[in-house]
Amino acid sequence: MAQATEAQKIQLLQDLEIEMMADMFNRLTTSCHRKCIPPVYNDSEIAKGEAVCIDRCVAKFLDIHERIGKKLGQLSMQDENLLKK
Amino acid sequence: MSVSLPTSNGFENIDPEQIKTFKDFLISYNKLSELCFNDCITDFTSRSIRNTEDKCTSNCLEKFLKVNQRISQRFQEFQILANENAMAASQKLGQPFQI
Repeated sequence: MAQATEAQKIQLLQDLEIEMMADMFNRLTTSCHRKCIPPVYNDSEIAKGEAVCIDRCVAKFLDIHERIGKKLGQLSMQDENLLKK
Repeated sequence: MSVSLPTSNGFENIDPEQIKTFKDFLISYNKLSELCFNDCITDFTSRSIRNTEDKCTSNCLEKFLKVNQRISQRFQEFQILANENAMAASQKLGQPFQI
């Protein structure tokens, strides 16, 4: 095992991506629970308003995730271009 | 004897996937008990758990599971949508779709 083969590299990248996704999902769950579910548990059902809140929260979180990804990509591209000059 | 004793590190015949699942379960168990304890137990004038505290904790548990279920449902829906968009975009460009 001197060098990682191409297949191993791809496997590693895929594993990393899955792990990153899982981490993002955990953060999403924690954030949306904190923002949408008040700490009063008179009922075990999800209230209507809470359900709507969760749906919007998930949508918004993923939206922001994407936007930040794009911004980060742009910024790192700019940095690379600057370094090349 | 059919009882398999742990060999050297004890994890050789356990599927790593299984360990990961179990680990995730334990992590969410800890998170859940932390959340419900913090939200439901605020009174320390008595050692025993009151009925209201018990009810609150079990509601908290059930609600937590339902919320998690709903969030993963929505998450999956977005995932599918994003995949379809990526597929359509790459087809438009005439390039094979790659993950």
